[in-house]
Amino acid sequence: MLSLWLRRLSTDRIARSRKQTAPLIVTGKRGNAELLVAVDDIAEQRGLSPGLALAQARAMHPVLDVVPEDAEADAALLETIADWCLRYTPLVACDAPDGLLLDISGCAHLYGGEDTLVADLSGRLEAAGFAFSIAIAGSIGAAWAAAHFGAPGNYACGNERSLLAPLPLAALRLAPETVASLARVGLKRIGDIVDMPRAPLTARFGSGVLRQLDRALCAEHEPLTPRLPVAPYVAEQRFAEPIAREEDVLAITARLAGRLKVALERRGDGARRIELTLFRTDGAVRRIAAGTSRPLRDPEDIRALFVERLAALADALDPGFGFDMARLSVTVAEPCQAEQIGIGGQEDAAAIGRLVDRLSARLGSQRVRRLIAQDSHIPEFAVASVPAQMTGTDDGWAAFRRYRDDVALAPRPMRLFTRPEPIEAVAEVPDGPPLRFRWRRALHEVIAAEGPERIEGAWWSEHGGPARDYFRVEDKTGLRFWLFRAGLYRDLLRGDLTPGTPAPAWFLHGTFA
Amino acid sequence: MLEQLRQRLQALQKPPGIEDNPGVLPLGVEAIDAPLGGGLARGALHEIAAPSEAHLAAAAGFVLGLAALSLSPSPRSNTSVIPGRERSERTRNPETHSEIASGFRVRGLTAAPRNDGEGAGRGEFVWIAEDMALTESGAPYGPGLDAFGLKPEQLVTVTAACTRDLLWAMEEALRCRAIAAVIGEMRGSEIDSVAVRRLSLAAAESGALALLLRATPPTDASTAATRWIVGAAPSSPSSGWECERAPRFAATLVRNRRGPVGSWILQWSDIDERFLLATHAQPVAAPPLDRPHRKVA
Repeated sequence: MLSLWLRRLSTDRIARSRKQTAPLIVTGKRGNAELLVAVDDIAEQRGLSPGLALAQARAMHPVLDVVPEDAEADAALLETIADWCLRYTPLVACDAPDGLLLDISGCAHLYGGEDTLVADLSGRLEAAGFAFSIAIAGSIGAAWAAAHFGAPGNYACGNERSLLAPLPLAALRLAPETVASLARVGLKRIGDIVDMPRAPLTARFGSGVLRQLDRALCAEHEPLTPRLPVAPYVAEQRFAEPIAREEDVLAITARLAGRLKVALERRGDGARRIELTLFRTDGAVRRIAAGTSRPLRDPEDIRALFVERLAALADALDPGFGFDMARLSVTVAEPCQAEQIGIGGQEDAAAIGRLVDRLSARLGSQRVRRLIAQDSHIPEFAVASVPAQMTGTDDGWAAFRRYRDDVALAPRPMRLFTRPEPIEAVAEVPDGPPLRFRWRRALHEVIAAEGPERIEGAWWSEHGGPARDYFRVEDKTGLRFWLFRAGLYRDLLRGDLTPGTPAPAWFLHGTFA
Repeated sequence: MLEQLRQRLQALQKPPGIEDNPGVLPLGVEAIDAPLGGGLARGALHEIAAPSEAHLAAAAGFVLGLAALSLSPSPRSNTSVIPGRERSERTRNPETHSEIASGFRVRGLTAAPRNDGEGAGRGEFVWIAEDMALTESGAPYGPGLDAFGLKPEQLVTVTAACTRDLLWAMEEALRCRAIAAVIGEMRGSEIDSVAVRRLSLAAAESGALALLLRATPPTDASTAATRWIVGAAPSSPSSGWECERAPRFAATLVRNRRGPVGSWILQWSDIDERFLLATHAQPVAAPPLDRPHRKVA
């Protein structure tokens, strides 16, 4: 477990963007006082420390570079660094406000050992201008304690007790009040409580103290919550020379996909969601994800997806000085049956799937849709339009056809407005079809009408709406419409309507060919 | 003779890989199929425009009818094709030979049926529209598509943010082997002639039917195989106050690469899922079947 503590995250962030001359301090309001939140090295040497009032600090040092705190920018920077640390391990957790936890078990050998990995990480952080301390230990607690309070370094598993004993109790990540009350009874170092009887400690200070101690000592497992879900399949490639051209990126995608294919085949899986992570030399990380409509393995298909994704990027793929690492991960995998090729239907399905994937990758999966039948008698709810990549095998149309044949459903329009459009209509008899109506400022004279087809509102729901009488009408020029009157005049005359219910109104809901 | 030479020249000029003649799609109406040379050419782009935006629904219905014809496994009616023309079509069509030849091949070993002129094995169509089009004229409604014999599950709808995306999506869809018809709905009057050419080529390569539906009659010259102006036509007055089920179209062929153009009143019969020549609502002169000035074409 590796704990990285960025000691001066806020001041380093500010110092990176400006040339600073005076001691730099970051201030924020705590309660009613303007206090120092973070200080840089020079300020600390001059005796300034977080928690000091700003007025006091100014009195001590008239020349100060004072910057208001920006917790969001700090958090964003930490996330960026966390993304960048994905190059070492997929298990990276943010340890707010200024630390990261990396589970490097099983990953370190890729860098030639833990020490080499730490050297690599240190070199890059130093180059970026961060003050930090790194510690590796067997547990999260021990690594954290060593990074924040002890000497940074690599501590072997099993030595936690000797590592922790001289450290203050705050190194156990306890609440400040607990640390203070422990100090009141003379318990200041971890060594003081390691061999104490457990029952009295728990009785007095709660179970938290001992749990944190057990976790630090590897007696209890502490789970790490990674920032990003860990992909089941990952392939990555580092480059001796950074790559910048889009063709190179695509070529490497295909190569990584080729490696993933082997792993996917072994477990009988296919990719449903793929993410390409590009690490730029200057630390920026670009993640590009693409979804598929069916489990995918073929490297050429995966490459084709990313061709579209790259083409559709709103901001071009800015390689800067180039990418020095690329990772292709399958974030969602699904079992994928082996298919016999050469049978027309299946090949067609695959071709359609490929088309849907390409269109979705370029235009967005929300734009490529299929229609599925829903179990509703209300026209606008009878059909749902869902992203084509998500539709399952049963789309409900067989059931709809059975229902239509059973009840001899009247013809439905070819195109339906998502929202019925209000029209002004004149009808001969209150419950009859309209004689003429005005839609979008144009007057239509009705010469033929068919109906009504009464469709009850969803009376079981508060938002069901009134019953509708639908008419199929044709105007003088031959245009055909699907109109309805919401509400019945009969109800209005009988006075059944509760006050506040609107009078019957006419709407246009669809058009026929 | 001249025609034959022209055909040979065309065959020589065509870049390799482009199917020579993916066949025609008979509309089943003799009067229309004859000037079209047996029917609408598959593997080509056809423009269908509404005379005004109000008639867009009718034009869309006509387009859906064409899509339905292209999806159905067998041509509706062979009798509508003038026999002599059909024979010459057959002798010219190299695909017909491969069709016959494929009968002798071992079925299991051949690849999936390619463009064998009938569009067999293709069962999907794509409707691509701009975002605004769906709110302006309504979204395709599944239960209503059934009236055209189209299955809603065969439809993939795509919305595009701009005309460029729309044309790109059309081209992609046309390149897909399994797509029988691609409908692109455009509201803008301007269209890039290069894009149209690209669409025609993509359609020719795959043998799919490319249908460009336009809300207003285009004024620009076109490289599409045919251009139609289709509006709604009133039902026959004999039906009285009752609304007829069958939609009627006033279809005008304003541009035809093969020459003759004309104007017809058509009716879609949902029972046998084909177009019929409607009896006219009001007596009109015989539909003009002429070859106008070259400039129009």
